[in-house]
Amino acid sequence: MEDEEGADEQQQFSYQQRLKAAVHYTVGCLCEEVASDREVPLSKQTVAAISEVTFRQCENFAKDLEMFARHAKRSTINTEDVKLLARRSNSLLRYITEKNEEIAQFNLERKAKKKKKLEDENHSVQPAEAEVMESEN
Amino acid sequence: MADSYSPDNEPTTRTLLRRVLDTEYPRTPRRPRSTPAGARKALLETPFSMRLRSQTKTAAKRRSHRGRSIDRLAHIQTSERLKEQTPRTLLENILLTAPESSMVMPESVVKPVPAPQVMQPSSPESSRGSLELQLPELEPPTILAPGLLAPGRRKQRLRLSVFQQGMDQGLPLSQEPHGNTDASFLTSSPNLTFATPFQPESVQRPGLARRPPTRRAVDVGAFLQDLQNTCVALAPSGDSLNTPAATLPVDTVLEDTQPFSQPLTGHSSSMHHSLPCSSVSAERVVSFRTRSSGPRLQNDSPRKPAQHLAGKAEEVAALAVGSPNNSSSISGEGGLEPLQDEVGEEVEEMMEESLCVSKVKEAAGTQGSARAEEPETHTEVTEAKGSWRAVEDKEPEGSSGDKDTSASSKLASSTPEFHQAGQLQFLEPAPPASTAVLSSEPLEPVSARLPPKARTAGPRQRRDPYKTGLSHYAKLFSFYAKMPMEKKALEMVEKCLDKYFQHLCADLEVFAAHAGRKTVTLEDLELLMRRQGLVTEKVSLHVLVERHLPLEYRQLLIPCAFSGNSVFPAQ
Repeated sequence: MEDEEGADEQQQFSYQQRLKAAVHYTVGCLCEEVASDREVPLSKQTVAAISEVTFRQCENFAKDLEMFARHAKRSTINTEDVKLLARRSNSLLRYITEKNEEIAQFNLERKAKKKKKLEDENHSVQPAEAEVMESEN
Repeated sequence: MADSYSPDNEPTTRTLLRRVLDTEYPRTPRRPRSTPAGARKALLETPFSMRLRSQTKTAAKRRSHRGRSIDRLAHIQTSERLKEQTPRTLLENILLTAPESSMVMPESVVKPVPAPQVMQPSSPESSRGSLELQLPELEPPTILAPGLLAPGRRKQRLRLSVFQQGMDQGLPLSQEPHGNTDASFLTSSPNLTFATPFQPESVQRPGLARRPPTRRAVDVGAFLQDLQNTCVALAPSGDSLNTPAATLPVDTVLEDTQPFSQPLTGHSSSMHHSLPCSSVSAERVVSFRTRSSGPRLQNDSPRKPAQHLAGKAEEVAALAVGSPNNSSSISGEGGLEPLQDEVGEEVEEMMEESLCVSKVKEAAGTQGSARAEEPETHTEVTEAKGSWRAVEDKEPEGSSGDKDTSASSKLASSTPEFHQAGQLQFLEPAPPASTAVLSSEPLEPVSARLPPKARTAGPRQRRDPYKTGLSHYAKLFSFYAKMPMEKKALEMVEKCLDKYFQHLCADLEVFAAHAGRKTVTLEDLELLMRRQGLVTEKVSLHVLVERHLPLEYRQLLIPCAFSGNSVFPAQ
C-alpha cells in the first residue's frame, strides 16, 4: 500500500517534472524571442527563474479559476472566470476581452454560414454538412 | 465622632474637605447638638471615613456607601442641620454627596464634553439637568479607581474654588444644593452638586476650562435644537427606517433643522441628482451616513456615498447594503450614543462597511480615494455588528481591534481626526456636493466646535470623511509601531491604506458581479480571503473567526446552539 502511494507520488512528481520541463522549454523560446527583439541577452538563470515562477503562477491560476467557477456556482471554468483572473492587469484584460470577442464573432459567423449552407443544400447533403460542421466546431 | 481620620494619601477633594471638617469640628456649635443626632452623625461619619479610606477600593463599597449616604442625606435634609447653613453643613453635604459624584468625577473630567454631548441624543426627553444626570449613570461603572486620582487632583482645585465660592455665598449655597439638587445629588456629578445651584454651565466644570467653554454651551443649545428637530423629523418621515435615522442625524445636526434638507445650497443640486436615482436607498444610506458623520466635517460624506450610489444606478445593492447598515446603525446608535468610546469604534467599522459599499458602487471611482475614506470617517456611525458582519468579514482583526480600543483613545483620536479632516477638507475635489448633512457628526466635543464652522465650504465636508477614517487607522498604526513616526510616513500609510481599501472593495464588487449578484455577501468575502491567503485548505474561515473575534461577533458568524429556542440565528 505504501509502496503504491509512494509510486503514485513519484509518478506525480515525475509528471510534474515533465510539465515543468515543458514550461521551461516554452519560456526559453519566448525569452529568446524577446532577447533578440530587444537585443538584451538573458542569462540561463533568469530563464530558469522565469519558468519556475510561471509554473507556480499557473498553479495559482488554476486554483483561482476553480474558485471563481465554484463561486459562480458552475462546474466548468468559463471565459468569465479567466477575465476575472486577468482583471488586475489592464492590458492583459483588454487583450483577453478582444480575443474573446473575436472568437465569439467568429463562431457567430460560422454558424450563420452553416445555416445558409444548410438551407441551400439538399437534404441529402445536409447530414454530411452537419457532420462537417460539428467536426469543425 | 469620627474626627481623627487620618487623611488619605490621595489628595482628593474628599480628603481636603474631610480635613476641613475635622478642623472645623471643635468650632461648630454642633457639638452639643450632635449628641441627639450624634448617632446619625456617627453613622454619617463612618461612611465618610470608610469612603475616604477606601476611595480607591471597589466601587461596590462606594455604592453601598452611597446608598447609605443617600439615606443619610435624606436624614440630613430632614434634620435641622440643614437650617444651620454653616460651612460644616456645607462640607458635610458635600461629603455626603461627594462619594457618588467623586466616583463619577473621573469620568466627567475625562470626558466632560463628549459625555454630555453623547448623552444628548440618547435622551431626547431629558432636561438640561438630566444631561448631567445621565452622565454618572452611564459612566460610573466604567472608570472609578484608576481615573479617580488624576482627575481628583484637578477636581480638588476645582472643588476648592467652588467651595470657596460657596463659602462666600454662605447661606444660599448650603440651601440651594439641598433644595435644588436633592435628587440630582444621587446621580449628578460632583461639579454639579456645587455649581448647578448658583453657577451655570460655564463654571460647572472648571476642570474643563482647558477646553473651549463654548462647546459646552453649544452642546446644550444643539441638544435642544436636536430635540426640536427630532420632533420635526419624526413627523415627516413615515418610513420606519427613516424615522430613527432622521432622529439621529437630527440629533447631531446642530444647525440644520431638517433631516435631509439641503443645508448647503451648492450641494442641494447634487442631492437632487442622486435622489431621483434612488431616493429611498439614497435617503437610507444618507440617513445612516448622516448619522454617522459629524455635523460639519462629514456633511458631504453621507451625501457623497449616496450620490455615488445613486449615480451608479446600483440602487439595489445600496438598498441591500444600506438597509442592514441602517437597521444596525439605528439600533446601534441608540444604544451606543451614550457610550462615546464605542462611537468611534462603531463608526470606524461602519465606515469600512460603507466604504465597501461605496466601492462596490464605483469600481474605478475617480474619487475613489475620497470615497474610500468617507465611510471610514463615519466615526459616528454606530454601525453595529449586523452590517459589520456582512461586509467586514475580511477585517475581523481590524474591527475587533477597533472595538477593543478604549474609549479614551478613540475619543482622543477622533477629535484630532476631525481637526485633520477640517484641514484636509479643501484638498479634495468633492464630487457633487453632499447635501445637507450637517449630519451627525460624532457626538463629541468636535460637534460643539464644528457648528460654527459647519457652513464654511462644501468641499471641506467631503474631504473629511476619507481622511478622518484613515487617520484613525494611521493613529492605530503609530500606536502599535511603538516608535515615533514622521507625519509623512503616516500620510504614506494612509495612502497605502486608501489604495488597499479601494482594491479590496473593487474586488468585492467584481466578485459579487461575477456571481450574478449585486450585493456583496459573505461568499465574496470568503473568496477574497482565500485569494489573500488568509483562508486556505488548512485554515478555514471558521478557524479564523474563532481565533480573532470576540464572542459576540463569533456568534453572529458561526451559528451555535443557544440555550434558548433558536439553534441557528434567524436570517
